[in-house]
Amino acid sequence: MTDSVYLAWRYLRHHRAKTLLIVLSLAVFLALPLVMGTLSRATQRSLLSRAEETPLLLGKTGSSLDLVVEVLYFELKSVDSVTVADMNAVDETGLALAIPIRTGLKARGFPVVGTSLDYFAYRRLRTAEGRGLAILGECVVGSAAAEALSLQPGDALLTSPSTLFDLAGVYPLKLRVVGVLEPTFGPDDRAVFVDLKTAWVAEGLGHGHQDLAGADPDVVLERQSDTVTANAKLLQHNEITESNIDGFHFHGDASAYPVTAIIPVARDEKAAVLLRGRFVDEPTRQLVRPAQVVDSLNKQVFRFERILEVVVWTVGAATAVMFALVVALSWKLRADEVRTMTRLGCSRWKAAQILGSEIALMIVAGILLAGILGVGIVEYGERWLQGLILRSS
Amino acid sequence: MTRRLFEMQVAELVVLIVLAPLGLGCEKSVALPQARESSEKGPASIYVVNFPLEDFAAKMAPAGAGVVFPTPEGIDPAFWKPPAETVEEYQRASLILLNGAGYARWTGFATLPRSRTVITSEGCRERFLEREDSVRHRHGPDSQHVHTGLALNTWLDLRLAACQASRIRDALLARFPEDIGSISARFGTLERDLLALDERLREVGLALDGRTLLASHPVYAYLADAYGLVIAPLHLEPEHPLNREDWITLDEMLARHPSKWMLWEGVPSEATIDGLADRGVIPVLFTPAARRPPEGDFIAAMKANTERLECATGVRACR
Repeated sequence: MTDSVYLAWRYLRHHRAKTLLIVLSLAVFLALPLVMGTLSRATQRSLLSRAEETPLLLGKTGSSLDLVVEVLYFELKSVDSVTVADMNAVDETGLALAIPIRTGLKARGFPVVGTSLDYFAYRRLRTAEGRGLAILGECVVGSAAAEALSLQPGDALLTSPSTLFDLAGVYPLKLRVVGVLEPTFGPDDRAVFVDLKTAWVAEGLGHGHQDLAGADPDVVLERQSDTVTANAKLLQHNEITESNIDGFHFHGDASAYPVTAIIPVARDEKAAVLLRGRFVDEPTRQLVRPAQVVDSLNKQVFRFERILEVVVWTVGAATAVMFALVVALSWKLRADEVRTMTRLGCSRWKAAQILGSEIALMIVAGILLAGILGVGIVEYGERWLQGLILRSS
Repeated sequence: MTRRLFEMQVAELVVLIVLAPLGLGCEKSVALPQARESSEKGPASIYVVNFPLEDFAAKMAPAGAGVVFPTPEGIDPAFWKPPAETVEEYQRASLILLNGAGYARWTGFATLPRSRTVITSEGCRERFLEREDSVRHRHGPDSQHVHTGLALNTWLDLRLAACQASRIRDALLARFPEDIGSISARFGTLERDLLALDERLREVGLALDGRTLLASHPVYAYLADAYGLVIAPLHLEPEHPLNREDWITLDEMLARHPSKWMLWEGVPSEATIDGLADRGVIPVLFTPAARRPPEGDFIAAMKANTERLECATGVRACR
């Protein structure tokens, strides 16, 4: 048997181009439906797993899918925000702990997520390097973002302007990287986490500037005994340091400050049910169950996948037929070669073994290549497919 | 290629095919999120931002719960800026007791776990007082103001202090429900002591009937507001003898607000005492008790303050 395989190998090696073409076709034919199915199932499982880890989500009334996609997967959908007053209201029910999430900004292409310390315990995020958030102006980076941007504790990271054409927009804020998180193989790996107040400063809702009590007359519009009104010439700090942190402040009513959404962590199942009941008739707020929302998204993806499967299997069948045709034609063209082998003493059975070994070797090579392609696509394609589903949702 | 070499290559390939999936599958299965560290492991720790909260918590907390007030000696806890390592200690605490009303400004810039943080003065008062010397500002005529100068020492209003103590009690009961009896009993004793002193200070306020007291610093806003005292604050340091400008400022204040008494946060220097005596002003030591005293608890400190004020104003015989 080894002799037949050896001869088959030598033949295939001699006709490299033909062998490569056939092996590649087989690899694509074998890999595509399997990879598609595996990828799709893995993506759906990953999306659903994230949603199941977040039983409840409170946001402003609107598209529940956009709310879930933005808050759980950090894909910006420009959802309307709720406020700190909603956070306090959830806490005051005594039924749940409110964890705020503030999205909307990016830092070098990665989402900046403002939240509280409780988020890290809730998601079981631990630092691999450095430490967690402690002081305004600091950030903790997910493992994938840190790797992509080559960041480590002690580095600086600038937030990006919210829109390219916002001439009256806020200057970028220079964040101090104090920690890098351990990988979780989820959306948190690609996020830059800051304290909620730091997110507000980055958005321009809070700021720091020189003390106006003794400010230059150029920057003062009006000065009364206990009130100073400044004009737009007043320079604001774009970095929070130990020397200027005391100057940072927020204007207006703190309870009106925006929060993209709130993750209410209910005390228990009964508390969750009671909390849901409180928002049933609420006209301006929605308390959604992300698992239900993602499940309906997965069902739509599943329908599309079924259609795609039919197409892929049809193409696969055509490829198989083409492969059989190529082999049959090849054998016909090699009739003289087979006659020569038999005249040299090779039995017909041996000749069949050699030809069969050629097919077997090509199929094995196709399977191997399909395996390598499949691993590569699943490794990097899950995130791509997840992003595609979330961006187009 | 020889047949032998070919057979060896095939053998290597077979081994690779068998072992490769094991290697490829390993990475993700090992890197599972680890179980979070519980802040509830080990003895409970209660971190506070000033001495009154330390005292209240220490009185009510069950045995085994450590109360920690990490502000170094000699530093005003209201203006202390702890390093990141100390903020992390607060983060790991089982319970964090903040004063509220803008006290300990650093807490506004620190990341503390909301689930374990209690703002003890929240809900105890509708509006918190502003410092007399605070300057508000805004950007442009239509923007909102920001208030940068809230009065800090809320516990000098002893009813507010009792309310803060009740918030601490509630937080302790939520954390240690099995100790409901002892916590409630100790709170009862503390509340009784605070309200007894509150009653005595009200008598002082009634007796003074609007007569002005000077003060070395604007730190007595809550004392004034709670007990109907009229207090005119200056900015003088007890440990430094007053210089010429200070005396001029004090004389101008006396001209506007004639007064027989002056509250001091610390014992003034002998020269200052003599100068005040020349002007007919009696210095009265009334410590805000924000920092841990050399000895005694908060009740003892406030009792001593009250006795000194009663003695100076003639409301009660001096001891």
